Amino acid sequence: MSEEKKWYNFDLGFTKQTAKTGTCGCGKSEGSCGSKQQPKTTIQKEEISEEAFFEAAVDASIGEERHKDGFDQVFEVKMDRRSAFRKLTASLLIGAGAVNTSCSITAGDASKEKAQIDWEEQFKGNYKLMTDDEKEATVNRLMRSYELRTGKNLSMTAENAKENVLFGYAFNISKCQGYMNCVSACVEENNQDRNSQMQYIRIHEMKDGNGFKFNDADDNYYHEVPAEGHFYMGTQCFHCDNPPCVDVCPVQATWREDDGLVVIDYDWCVGCRYCMAACPYDGRRFNWSKPEVPEKEVNKNQHYLGNRVRKKGVMEKCTFCVQRSRKGENPACVDACPTGARIFGNLLDPDSTIRWVLENKKVFRLKEDLGTEPKFWYFMD
Amino acid sequence: MNNSTKIYLLLFLVSLTIISCKKKDEYHSLDERIHAETRTGANGGVNSEILLSDKNLMEITEGHHTFLIPERKGELTSYSCTECHNKPLKQIASSDIKKAHWNIKINHAGSEVMNCATCHNGNDMNNLVSLTGKKIDFNKSYKQCAQCHTVQFEDWKGGAHGKKLAGWAPPRASMTCVNCHNPHEPSFDQRWPVRFNSEKVQERKDGFEFK
Amino acid sequence: MRRFKVFKSLVTDSLDTITTGSKRYHLWMGLLTIIMLAGMYCYSIQLDEGLSVTGMTDRVSWGLYISNFTFLVGVAAAAVMLVMPTYILKDIDFKQAVLIGEGLAVAALIMCLAFVIADMGGPAVLWHMIPGIGVFNFPDSMLTWDVIVLNGYLFLNISIPFYILFRHYQGKDSNPKVYIPGAILSVFWAVAIHLVTAFLYQGLQARPFWNNALLGPRFLASAFAAGPALIILVLGIIKSFSSFKVKDETIKKIAMIVTVAAQINLIMLISELFKEFYAPTHHSESAFYLFFGLHGKTALLPWIWTSISLNVLAVVMLTFGRFRNNFKTLYFCCFILFVAIWIEKGFGLIVPGFIPGPYGKIAEYTPTGIEIGVTLGIWALGAFVFTILAKTAIGIETGEMRYGKKTS
Repeated sequence: MSEEKKWYNFDLGFTKQTAKTGTCGCGKSEGSCGSKQQPKTTIQKEEISEEAFFEAAVDASIGEERHKDGFDQVFEVKMDRRSAFRKLTASLLIGAGAVNTSCSITAGDASKEKAQIDWEEQFKGNYKLMTDDEKEATVNRLMRSYELRTGKNLSMTAENAKENVLFGYAFNISKCQGYMNCVSACVEENNQDRNSQMQYIRIHEMKDGNGFKFNDADDNYYHEVPAEGHFYMGTQCFHCDNPPCVDVCPVQATWREDDGLVVIDYDWCVGCRYCMAACPYDGRRFNWSKPEVPEKEVNKNQHYLGNRVRKKGVMEKCTFCVQRSRKGENPACVDACPTGARIFGNLLDPDSTIRWVLENKKVFRLKEDLGTEPKFWYFMD
Repeated sequence: MNNSTKIYLLLFLVSLTIISCKKKDEYHSLDERIHAETRTGANGGVNSEILLSDKNLMEITEGHHTFLIPERKGELTSYSCTECHNKPLKQIASSDIKKAHWNIKINHAGSEVMNCATCHNGNDMNNLVSLTGKKIDFNKSYKQCAQCHTVQFEDWKGGAHGKKLAGWAPPRASMTCVNCHNPHEPSFDQRWPVRFNSEKVQERKDGFEFK
Repeated sequence: MRRFKVFKSLVTDSLDTITTGSKRYHLWMGLLTIIMLAGMYCYSIQLDEGLSVTGMTDRVSWGLYISNFTFLVGVAAAAVMLVMPTYILKDIDFKQAVLIGEGLAVAALIMCLAFVIADMGGPAVLWHMIPGIGVFNFPDSMLTWDVIVLNGYLFLNISIPFYILFRHYQGKDSNPKVYIPGAILSVFWAVAIHLVTAFLYQGLQARPFWNNALLGPRFLASAFAAGPALIILVLGIIKSFSSFKVKDETIKKIAMIVTVAAQINLIMLISELFKEFYAPTHHSESAFYLFFGLHGKTALLPWIWTSISLNVLAVVMLTFGRFRNNFKTLYFCCFILFVAIWIEKGFGLIVPGFIPGPYGKIAEYTPTGIEIGVTLGIWALGAFVFTILAKTAIGIETGEMRYGKKTS
């Protein structure tokens, strides 16, 4: 009770467990629900009796120790009128809720829980400013929500950037043959919208002897590759160290993480597309419609900032497969490349292969004059 | 407007200019940042050991580089070769034994440069042979390639040529030449790209029609 | 308490005023309402399906909405051209026109905000942008600057005329000590809103077409041509449809402002054209696309050449006093100038910024019917708001609406 919630939480009794254990909204007291390590702790249909519900609501009205989230990140000062208002609303809700539960036989806990999750998701804060507990909570809510909607489990993490890691990427122009395996792997890994055929990676087919003339290059060829007299150059988000897209975002929905990844909080993005105009590398994509991925094709191994299924009207982009790279894996495009043209690694490790490439090959970056400091280099054999 | 108003206005403008400066990083450039923050061996506690756990690897040291490569002999379907090649090659060729290796086509340099015997030793089929007749273990077949492809070998050692087996974090485990290239016909085929984006074609045609 | 009573009476009186009028007035308002409803219907489709119902794509990611937004910021800023001489230079001439100008600014700002909201992918989470509740990326993002200056300007333009009208409504004179500081502030503010809006584009190194130092000043020049031109037209309409007296002298003075601003705008256009075409670099491709088309893609050619010829024609005609002082030709000039600048500052500025894309790809942009519907709806909303404001203001200024007049 030390820290009172300043914004009234739409509480149907499900957060009570959360509050006490500080884990998740699935009603489990230990571990994170649906997490990979503990598959047994996935769903637990807890029957909440009327008394329990009543109690929870009372608890909510009195105030309980909860994570600060959403509005709370700002409203840290105690405000009497607000809490009074909250208590009033809560007590009204106790009545309404009690009536509701006693009258409804079928209005299951699931739908109530769904409403609860939707409410909390709508008013949660910016991921960038969340504490680790809050990150965990929102990830658990999202997993639970997916489970409630589809009956399937997915694993989502909120893994933070590791210390002493700065991701970098090198692309060998001499090696790329234009097979586009990377593009395919990326789409499948990152749950990109199938309807609009969104793709983060573009492979530009350039004529030998013309230099890097993107204007004359074709990034949507369909003929046998490598074509005679052509070479191939891939572009994607370059994860600039001085990213113009981050500066322009009015709500800080996009930022550079400590390991150099430029990421987006899809739930915080307002969809103004200013970042898209600011990106000199065409690294950003917008969900013009609701993105559709067939359920069986959804990659269930997700990260909050990475490949979780997006919604309509938000930006998205390459994250160097944050769900993979933070675990030590290579991004999907690197693993999929049949020619070894893609090299990925930690720029801060002097023994990493990426560092060897930067120090021993003739590398260059695109549009370096713009001062964006991309962490994506090109080189040739 | 009297003087004091003007001064206030000026102060206001100056402070506005100051607060409106974009916050800059502590580093002037990415290069500076990389060098200042470099920590040998520290990769945030991430390593690739779990990713590599199901692989049969062996450590090699070439020049300054020490890293893992996949073991090769276990991958070869008919190793060891001497199970069939128990007699000298000439005798096998002349007798009526079932033909083997008929599917192998050599498309590697020209026939005036290479033939089977450039790499294989008819008298010691279990090992490869160098240009000067020295034995090369199948597990270190990259040494065979490195005899001619010295530039690629340098790049491979450093990590600019070829792929890693899994993960970016140490320990480094790289594929060897034969994991990507068929030694008998090492160049990559021409083939169709795996993807074609019909939306892009639509988008670039003539702008959008009225819907 | 008394103030509250007066305010209540003002509201009821103005409700009376705006709901009564000639048949033509009702027809006008009815028409606007229908257009607004149609626009709302289009917007509901957009909300449902997402922005894919517009012509915008990943290539051209801002279109008609942001074009209109940019243009209207200019119109709003132009109110200052009337405020400055009236309140600061004490030129009595403008006093009546200024209320109209500020009403216009309010309507334009409301349209600006509506256009921005229409352009958002997630209007439901716009609260993320509210300082205090959400996260306001100030001062890094120019968009947050724009939010501040636009809302501040909206507040100024509502409060100053409201104070004056409120006093006049009670039959009292307004106290200059109250409104003059506000007026002075709004002068700076008006320049700020337009400069900040220009910086929104100017600060993007990714788009060479926008990333040039002349963009801000050119915004100002074109705004001070298009805004007052619209005010002249509106005053002309008000003059012929109401008993509100606007002196010819006033309109002539505004015409002078329009002329000078349009001339400066033309000079800047020439300077820009010189820079782009005398020694073209690959940064000039957007300009090539705009004026001559690129790789057979020529969607903007008819628009921009219409705009330029109208612009030149208007400037030439306005330069001669004979045309400028003749109201018929003046209205004509103002109209074509307004259209010319709407094209030039609207999609003539926004769309080429995206073409060719960062990697030289060209995908042209054509607004869809739904997008046009929403746009028309928002324009109708602006006209609606302006009509209401103007009718109330005129009622008070002409003395038809006075506190206590009806009850006594």
